[in-house]
Formats: sequence, structure tokens, C-alpha cells
Amino acid sequence: MKRSTQIGLAAAGLLLVASYWGRTGSQDQSEESLVYANLAECRAGGQLTSPQCEQRFREASANHLRDAKKFTSTSACEAEYGSGSCQSAVWNGASVVVPALAGFMLARSLAQGGGAAQPLLPPTRQACPPGSPAQECQQARSSSSSGGGYGGGRSSSSRAYSTTSGAALVARSGSSPGVATTTTTSRGGFGLTARSYFSSSSS
Amino acid sequence: MRRVPLAPRPNWQADVERLGFAFHTLDGETYWDESVAYAFTLEEIERDLEAPTDAIEQLCFAFIEKAIDDDEVLTRLAIPAAQWDLIRESWRRGDRNLYGRLDLAYDGKGPAKLLEYNADTPTALFESAVVQWDWLEQAMARGALRPDCDQFNALHERLIAAFAQLRQPSPYRLHLACVQDSNEDKGTVDYMLDCAVQAGLDARFTYIEEIGLLSDGRFCDGANQPIETLFKLYPWEWLFREGYAANLATARCQFVEPPWKALLSNKGLLAFLWEMEPGHPNLLPTFFEGDPRCASLSQRRVRKPLYSREGANVTLTERGQVLDSDDGPYGAEGFVLQDAALNLFQADGHYAVLGSWLVASQACGLCLREDVSPITRNTSRFVPHYIEG
Repeated sequence: MKRSTQIGLAAAGLLLVASYWGRTGSQDQSEESLVYANLAECRAGGQLTSPQCEQRFREASANHLRDAKKFTSTSACEAEYGSGSCQSAVWNGASVVVPALAGFMLARSLAQGGGAAQPLLPPTRQACPPGSPAQECQQARSSSSSGGGYGGGRSSSSRAYSTTSGAALVARSGSSPGVATTTTTSRGGFGLTARSYFSSSSS
Repeated sequence: MRRVPLAPRPNWQADVERLGFAFHTLDGETYWDESVAYAFTLEEIERDLEAPTDAIEQLCFAFIEKAIDDDEVLTRLAIPAAQWDLIRESWRRGDRNLYGRLDLAYDGKGPAKLLEYNADTPTALFESAVVQWDWLEQAMARGALRPDCDQFNALHERLIAAFAQLRQPSPYRLHLACVQDSNEDKGTVDYMLDCAVQAGLDARFTYIEEIGLLSDGRFCDGANQPIETLFKLYPWEWLFREGYAANLATARCQFVEPPWKALLSNKGLLAFLWEMEPGHPNLLPTFFEGDPRCASLSQRRVRKPLYSREGANVTLTERGQVLDSDDGPYGAEGFVLQDAALNLFQADGHYAVLGSWLVASQACGLCLREDVSPITRNTSRFVPHYIEG
């Protein structure tokens, strides 16, 4: 693939993930599935070894409880994440309800060594309202135990998630401080030429 | 390479605005134009654009090696003598560069030809890295294009990786600056800042005009924070001649792009490259104006100021008659004459110029600008591209 695998835009609150379809008849079959619904899917994808998948899954699981939004009741959680999307947990000794772990994502491309795996949550009710016909929502609401997702059939090629920071995500596949004590002696020594030109300072 | 008319998304303005793309329309004219796209084969991209881009970059490095200690070359490039040491030291230290864009003539039928190298302050970056990427994803998702299409566009990933490696130790503090009153430049720098933050940097914005000088000789931002590393979307040839020019060397600041890029972001480069490698398949015959060898140029030729941006002051002539020109403030430092490219893509009354992106000196992306005239200007429309599945 000759394009970025994902694009995060903090200012826009967006995380975009590239779709991937194998180029038939091409040598370029290096699948860049960055999002897995579960451990089985990761192993089936064949991109990571089984121990690597287990480690990634452990990282995501470990961060899940820490990063997921906590609720005091199942109904409050389901109001945001949809029916059947939440689980009970104990956090710092208190009973909480959190959106369940729906998958995990590698933050950087595998070629760059990858960062820690990020936990993924079910899509919010806002992104996938109940009964939404959108394929990515139906995939997200159905059981993820089939392991068919990204390595598998081309029909199940798109699934909605949300990140722990609340961004909507659709995975498609087949796819110094320390200021010295100084004072400012002057200002405005740059920029004069731009003012005298009508055209742009860039090209 | 094909020009493919396509129906724009019904709400394309909202679709691109959701990405934070604020300048899809400039002065009332469409700038982001998705009513057409350019299709390439993977072989065209890799053999004709990616590989030559990397080769030209290596040629540029060979030129710098030769030119950096040659007073005569620096004089011909109209670089002030007072800045030569700054430039030489930045090259000897190996100051890293972030990005650049080669403008190429290419019609799919032969080797791409270098028109010029925007080595210092290229824009059209956000629309290249993000907007056309998202356009392709959506076009494939809704079935307007086959789902196995691709795009030559790893800009976003490469920028983040390059930001992390510009300076050691990393992460470091980075200031990013552009001029006031330019939405396009601000949009570009905002995107750069986003990438820098994702690279883990302490990234801060300041306007060029806000930069100040501390009593210890360092530059500072509008909040008096010292500037240690400065990404400036502002040309070196202007910095070299403005009020703080004499402070550049003593400010203990690492600049991005580094000062040595001044040797490349100059049309004189085109004449020197041709002198080094006459007949190179990716170069056009080019000489400094007044050089007797200009007589060997073809009758259809282009006159370009050493310093010029967005097509300003560029003139296309045939047998001495002006066919196309663009006004502007440049030209005082001299001109080069270049054979007009014969392989500028032309279809349906439109010309297209290709922009081949480099990040950390590696080819990693493509953009196209389209116009009804053969000179690309700041109003030329940006059109997306894809690699056919």
C-alpha cells in the first residue's frame, strides 16, 4: 500500500483508518490490518505471531479499564454505548460499569515497529443508533466471536468502534520547560518582506 | 495516466470541512476540485515519479557538496555573503530537513521533467496528505471507485516520523511559524503542528511577525519563550535580508527547513543541475540569462526569476513572443531560461503539473494542480489522484 494506513487529526477529533483490499494478482499481499476485534482475529490475520498477538491484546486489556469512561450504572453506560455493550468492573476498589473491550488497534504501522496497542470500545449510540442499517454498525453489534472479521471474508469488511477518547472509528478491511531569566530586547525583526509582497510567502 | 471526470460528493464542502480544511475555496474560486481526478498505474508512480524524485534529490545533494564552498556559485544564487557561514555550518552539521516538493511535467508517455524544486516553503501539504486521502477512502467506500485503488500518499505517516527525528534528543520543543493574514499558510502550519504533537513534541505556534530577540541572543515567541527549534513557513531569501538577519547565526536555533535548503529553493539550481548532468532524462536544459549557451535552448522557453513563488513573474515565450506570463514582484536577483516542457499533461483544455513530495528526502506522495494555462499559479485548482486497482 502506498498511502498512510491511518490519519489522526487532533484538531478535528478524527481518527481515520485506511481500508485495505488485497491487490489481486499482485505481489503486494502484505495485509496491514491494524484493527482486530479479538485475539483470534489477530492470530488468524497472520501479520503478527501468536505471542505478539497475545502481548498486544494484553496491552489493550491493561489499558482498557484505565482509559475507558466509567459509569455508575449499566443503564447509564448503555445509554451512551448501546444495549449489551457494557460490563461491570472494579476500578480502584469501586464498582463501576465500563463499555466493553471491542477490539484493539496498533497505533503505528507495523513497519515502524508499532506502538502500544490501544483498546477500542463499541461505537457510541450517536455513531450507531439502534437498528442502524449501516454495515459497520451491524458488524459492531453482532457477536465478534466468529473471528471472521479482517482476515476473513470480504463481505464483513467494515466495523464501527469508538476510541477511549470518544472519537468514532470505522475500520475497513479486507483492510522544555525552563525559561532562562532573560528579557526581550526587541520584536518584529522578521516578516517585513511579506508585507511588501502581494503574493504568498509559500509555494 | 488519465484525466477522469467524476461526480463531486453532494456535500463535498462539508465533507472536507469536517477534516478542518478551511481553504477549499480561495477568493470565491474553487481550489479543491473533485469534479475530476487523475488515475495512474502503479508502474507510472513507482518507475516514472517515485524513483526519479529520489534520484533528483541525490543529484541535489551532490550539487550542494560541490557548491557549498564555492563562493562563485553562492554569488550566482544571489545568497548574501553574510549568510554563507550559516549555510555551510548547517550542511556540515548535518541539520536535517523535513520536506520539499518537486514540480514535474509528466504526461504518462516518457520521463518526468523537473520544472522546479520547492525545497523551502512548499504548501498544498494538508490537502495532499489528508484531504485527497480521505476523498479516496470515501470514493471507494461508496463505490465510485474500485475498492482496491490506492494513492501515492504516505505523507502523514512520514511527517510524524520525520518530526520525531529532526533533532536529538527527542522529544524536543518546536516552534512553528508563518505570516499573519494567510489562511492557506496558517492551515498548513496548523496541520504541521498536529503532526508534531503526534510525534510527541512540545509544539507551539507563533507568527513570524511576533518573533522577538532575547537579551541572550536567542529568538523568542510572542510569549517570550525562547525558540530552540523553528519550523518557518517563510522563505530563507527573505529571512537573510530582514531585520534579524545578523542574528540568525548567533540565535542558537535549529531551523527547519535548514539554511542549506537555500541552495535548492532557487531557480539557479536548475541551471547548475543541467551543467552537472547535461542530458539527464529528468532535467530540462536550463541556463542563467545572459549565458551564451542560452542560444542552444529551444525557441519555446520559459523565463523564471531566481526567487519566485506561485508562478509569479514567470514568462513563457516562443520565438521571442510572449505566450503566457504572470505578474509579480520578483526578478531583481536575475533569471534563468529553461526549455519549455513538451510533456506537460494536457487534456480537455486543462494543463496539469505534478507535485512530487519528499519527506526527510524520501519520495512519499503526489499532488496535482490544474489550470487552463500552462503556468501554475496560486489560484490553480488542486485535484486528487489515485492508483488504479
